[in-house]
Amino acid sequence: MSAPATTLPLAPAAAAVPGTDACANRALMVGLAGIAVTAAGLFVSGARIVASAWLVGVTYWTAVAIGMLLWVLIHHIFDASWSVVLRRQFEHGLAAFKWLALLFLPLVLASLFYQTDLVWPWMNPAHLLPEHKSVASDLLYQKKSAFLNVPMFLGATIVFFLVWIWLSARLRRASFTQDTDGDTKWTTMSRKTAAFGIPMAALSLTFAAIFWVKSLEYHWFSTMYGVWFFANCARAALSCGVLITVWLLHRGDYRGIVNKNHLHSIGQLMFAFTVFWGYVTFSQYFLIWNANVPEETFWYNLREVNADGSDNQWKFVGFFILFGHFFVPFLLLLSYRFKVTPLILRRIAVWILLTIFVDICYNVLPALKDASGDPLPFLGPALFWSATSAVGVGGVCLWAYLRSFPTAKLIPVQDPRIGECLTHHE
Amino acid sequence: MSAQPYGLIATFDTASSLYHAAEQVRDAGYRRWDCITPCPVHGLDTAMGLKRSIVPRISLCGGITGFCTGMTLIWWTGAVAYPLTVGGKPLFSPMFAFPISYELTILFTAFATIFGIFVTNGLPMHYHPVLKYEHITRGLDDQFFVVIEASDPKYDRTATRALLEKAGGRNITELEP
Repeated sequence: MSAPATTLPLAPAAAAVPGTDACANRALMVGLAGIAVTAAGLFVSGARIVASAWLVGVTYWTAVAIGMLLWVLIHHIFDASWSVVLRRQFEHGLAAFKWLALLFLPLVLASLFYQTDLVWPWMNPAHLLPEHKSVASDLLYQKKSAFLNVPMFLGATIVFFLVWIWLSARLRRASFTQDTDGDTKWTTMSRKTAAFGIPMAALSLTFAAIFWVKSLEYHWFSTMYGVWFFANCARAALSCGVLITVWLLHRGDYRGIVNKNHLHSIGQLMFAFTVFWGYVTFSQYFLIWNANVPEETFWYNLREVNADGSDNQWKFVGFFILFGHFFVPFLLLLSYRFKVTPLILRRIAVWILLTIFVDICYNVLPALKDASGDPLPFLGPALFWSATSAVGVGGVCLWAYLRSFPTAKLIPVQDPRIGECLTHHE
Repeated sequence: MSAQPYGLIATFDTASSLYHAAEQVRDAGYRRWDCITPCPVHGLDTAMGLKRSIVPRISLCGGITGFCTGMTLIWWTGAVAYPLTVGGKPLFSPMFAFPISYELTILFTAFATIFGIFVTNGLPMHYHPVLKYEHITRGLDDQFFVVIEASDPKYDRTATRALLEKAGGRNITELEP
């Protein structure tokens, strides 16, 4: 009976929509092209800059995939109904994990066999710090060395990818099998997966953020780091969810399936996690600012002033993140109309995905220092290779998603909550 | 008893008959009328032609007021009324004013929302003529009502009654003021 209230204003479906297979092939071509361009960067900017840029690209898309995993787990633990339709798309997105593991491999191999301190300085005990002492003789490294060592890094990274791949496989198998047999035992199984999967995913994403990104400046302390990464994961996955939803609405697949209340609910979650990201990121900055301890403040000082006291570009990147990553989406997502208008919500989602990329750059790239110990500027080769890396890894992830897309029904038709989902109301 | 009654009340047995009656009353251009239902009827707001509530705007005003109050409070107490350097920090910085501003944003938003809900619903309301209708308690149980108030510019004793009859209403009764 609420049909008139919930129809979405949409352009009529185009006469000839490209098939999913064609899209998948195109995505793979774009991905491989991005990877090839990034590889060519090795001869232009050198291995160190390109390796850090590659870390940006891999971390960014791993964050998207982890976020999708979290949303599927959270859906099951709450026995949610409205998000059944969205969940299926996230399940397809989880197909990217094994490729992400493969794409992470070059960083590990290069660190092991090419140059130990290529990305993470602490991996090489002989690495010289700016204050002209080696990592091995650095007291802070010695105190942290039980955690920060190569076997721990390798073991943890392998375990994390195995955890993510295994949880994804369980969730995907349960959901896709239920399409055919309609057995509710699959729902129960996924709920159990969620019960132990949420702590596993939370711990793995936290320590992945610490090992991969935070340890680039291993002197630093921050208890908020994992939560910061979690907030970005959740926001990135939701934004990708919006892009997928609007794409399927426009292609016509979701006609009569997704109504404006689904978009409203996604928009509300995007709003909530914008506030959450702001809260966490501000808390990290505020506590460090207030305590004013050199072992903590140097991380932000690096991103604000050079050794000679002049402002560097990262200061403005910081302000861009403050306003672009928090205030702009916060104010836009306050509006009900913006949340339920597909094209506007899609624009906000694209903006959030862009600012998350800048946020990851802000956390990774200042680890690249010039001869005087100042971070290399934001606008430079590292940003360009980060962008090509993100395109490369993103193309592969999109290909994995599109390749999984036709292997299951568009929506989980046999899910016990599918009826409630299709009639989702305010 | 005054000559002008409060309005007309009509009874409906099902949610869908009420829904379609609401659409007809809406399309006839009535403004001062309401539906009484024992349970939420999804989509009824659209069938009644109701716009979205203005309460979110009131909440936003409350939130902005709260944020400005927090910032002003910390600035005035710390930098104007009793300037005191603590921990080598400046007398005022939005940094340490932020937690209190954030809390007051939430507090004032909550106050404004509650206040907005009261005002837009006309609360507190200790008497309503509908309560005198002898079958009104069925509206808490299993029946649905449409009430059209006599103060509506389009109200006309016979035409309004005819509209409610055409819409399928039963037991159309005049309410005392």
